[in-house]
Amino acid sequence: MSGSATTSEAVSGVALAAGPNSLDRAKDRKERRFAAALLAPAFLALLATTTFPLMFLVWTSTFRMDLAMPFADGFVGLRNYSDLLADPRFWSSLSVSLIYTASTVVLQVALGLALALLVMDLKRSQGLFRVIAILPVVLSPAVVGMIWRTFMLAPEFGIIDYLAINAGLGSKNWLGDPTLAMISVIVIHTWQWTPFAFMVLLASLASLPEDIYEAARLDRASAWQRFVRITLPLLRPAIVMVVIMRTMVALTAFAAIFTVTAGGPGTATEILNLYAYRKSFTELSIGYGSALAVALLIVTLLISGGLFALRRAK
Amino acid sequence: MTRRHTDRRQFLKAGAAASALAVASPALLRGALAQGADLAPYKSAGIDWQQFSGETITVAVIPASYFDNLIALAPQFQALTGINVRFEKIPPAQIRQKAVIDLTSKTGTYATHAADPMYYSLYAANKWVEPLDAYLNDKALTDAAWFKFDDIIAGWRTANSLDGKLYGVPYDGEVTVQVYRKDLYDAKGLKPADDLTSFVSNAAALHAPDNRVWGTALRGVAGAGQNVYIYSSIFREFGGNWFKDGKLTVNGAEAEAALGWYVDLMKKYAPAAASNWNWPDIADAFSQGTVASYIDAHSSASVVNNAEKSKVIGKVAYARWPMGPSGKRVSSIWNWGFPINAALPDKRKKATWLFIQWAASAETQIRTSYAFDGPAKRSGVNRTSVWQDPAYTKLMDGFGDNFVKATMEALQSDTDVDWRPRVPQWPAIGDTVATAIQSALSGQATVKAALDEAQRRVEPMMRG
Repeated sequence: MSGSATTSEAVSGVALAAGPNSLDRAKDRKERRFAAALLAPAFLALLATTTFPLMFLVWTSTFRMDLAMPFADGFVGLRNYSDLLADPRFWSSLSVSLIYTASTVVLQVALGLALALLVMDLKRSQGLFRVIAILPVVLSPAVVGMIWRTFMLAPEFGIIDYLAINAGLGSKNWLGDPTLAMISVIVIHTWQWTPFAFMVLLASLASLPEDIYEAARLDRASAWQRFVRITLPLLRPAIVMVVIMRTMVALTAFAAIFTVTAGGPGTATEILNLYAYRKSFTELSIGYGSALAVALLIVTLLISGGLFALRRAK
Repeated sequence: MTRRHTDRRQFLKAGAAASALAVASPALLRGALAQGADLAPYKSAGIDWQQFSGETITVAVIPASYFDNLIALAPQFQALTGINVRFEKIPPAQIRQKAVIDLTSKTGTYATHAADPMYYSLYAANKWVEPLDAYLNDKALTDAAWFKFDDIIAGWRTANSLDGKLYGVPYDGEVTVQVYRKDLYDAKGLKPADDLTSFVSNAAALHAPDNRVWGTALRGVAGAGQNVYIYSSIFREFGGNWFKDGKLTVNGAEAEAALGWYVDLMKKYAPAAASNWNWPDIADAFSQGTVASYIDAHSSASVVNNAEKSKVIGKVAYARWPMGPSGKRVSSIWNWGFPINAALPDKRKKATWLFIQWAASAETQIRTSYAFDGPAKRSGVNRTSVWQDPAYTKLMDGFGDNFVKATMEALQSDTDVDWRPRVPQWPAIGDTVATAIQSALSGQATVKAALDEAQRRVEPMMRG
């Protein structure tokens, strides 16, 4: 929509400059119609593929729609939402989502920054590092999940388990124990997406002005002081951007967890997204599943809204 | 979320089209094969096979050798009826959802699909599939004397019927049995377990993880068709009843005893990884000699006897389920059946029926099993007459001692249709019970807490 507003402003600006006579006004209308015609296909496509399904989702969430009990279907208003607030599994999946998101984002930024600082000083092999780093990012999360599940974490057979046995920790049931399973899915997500933070922060580190550091060195600021007082504040916009992007993705993560644990064992790694999926497509309660999806949407909006506010502040 | 769902569905459709093409092209090549095939056994049926010539139907199946054999014979069906049939292979984990999406949107994409018997209640409640009795009794469509519907194994037939109405015709099926290492049992003087207690003591006697032999393994991965498939038998053997005073109940003393037995067995005598295993993983481990016994589908025998991979060929034997404390043996049974999509136009429904009749007929069952010109012979043929055919039983005896007898006895006496609760809500209930079993196995909750939580979730599902 903003596209059309800008265009019409620009068009009327031209019209004003040319003087307000009827011929120009007709021309102006024509231009505006032309602009609208150019915009319409994309706008309609967007409306049909995003806005309409979203509205339909919200609409569906006010119905009882159980494929298993078609006779009980009907409009229920906000009852799905009141059920949801009283559903302990909703709260537990929400907290799993939040723990998952917070820990993966913090780990990604911390590790990504550390790697970027390390690689920054490498002059010759930096290019090679970048290529290696990008590899996990380009893999499909489902493939990553399958690899970790079968090659890395399988007890007795997996690489991680082999390392654990050799390190004297003994064989662990990485995906069969509730706590270990949660740690495993966090590690997997972090492994895949840390390179993203690393790349962004490396690029932004490279663009920092050298003269400030030089001045700091002349003032005999220590390395730590330079990092805390110069690097971090200058990197802040990049860090906040990475945090926002990764948070939104982590909140709606699906494929990797689905293939690795499917939310299990029990419900130990069942994030909200997965619970909504199971309610809708396994249990076939489309109405309640939609309400869960809307709840996830609201949570995502609130959190990213908060982060955007943080970005603007200061 | 919304965006994901839309994208996903579109993507699946594109994928479906692509895989259909991939399946169709070798089918065209095999067209030559069909011309030489003898269609006389089919033509002896007193119906006009050509009455729907020119129709096109799409059939969704899972990627499995027993369906591959059927797909290989499809040119014969086309030559016989003039009906074009396209196959689409969908992995078992997705076929239910894809079928439900197709049925609920009434697009009629799949004329028929390999259906889970536990889904017929759901299908029937929504009138998504046709009751098949009308087709079975229509003399223009079915030659009863030729088709011999009653020859199809009764356990599978009844599993696909509700309130006396048939909704799907079994094509291939299975029944769960004990599978054990004859050599290891003989070395210790053990006999196949007659009850659950001796099953545990057998496992204990052979359990030697330091030598890489674990006592046993049962399905651990969560799912209505995975851990619940085996647990349901144990539950019934402990005297459990899914309906108490007409109310669906998943907790209680019998359920706790059954789940307790399962968790204890798995923790003590199964590899730790088994908590994420489905049947192929169990059969693989068994074929590598690392598991001494298991209880699962008789059809897993083909994995255990895979000449290329297995190290235990000739050392395998079979027995019926061990008896439970209630004195009952309860075997889990399963079949892939073909229903007719109710959203199809009338003519195509009938064309689909001809396909189903062809696929389920004794002749096709023979041509896809012992008479099949390929390495994979089916172990789940749907007909009693074939199971009594020496040409078939000789082949099946190759799987190991007592295979045919254990399978037949299990099918005939160890099961009844209600070994799992047949209600439209089953997908939700099955998933809930699956989660409870896994919670208890992983130690996330105690046996009682897990079952009580499942019951608390099941109750609102059953309320209309």
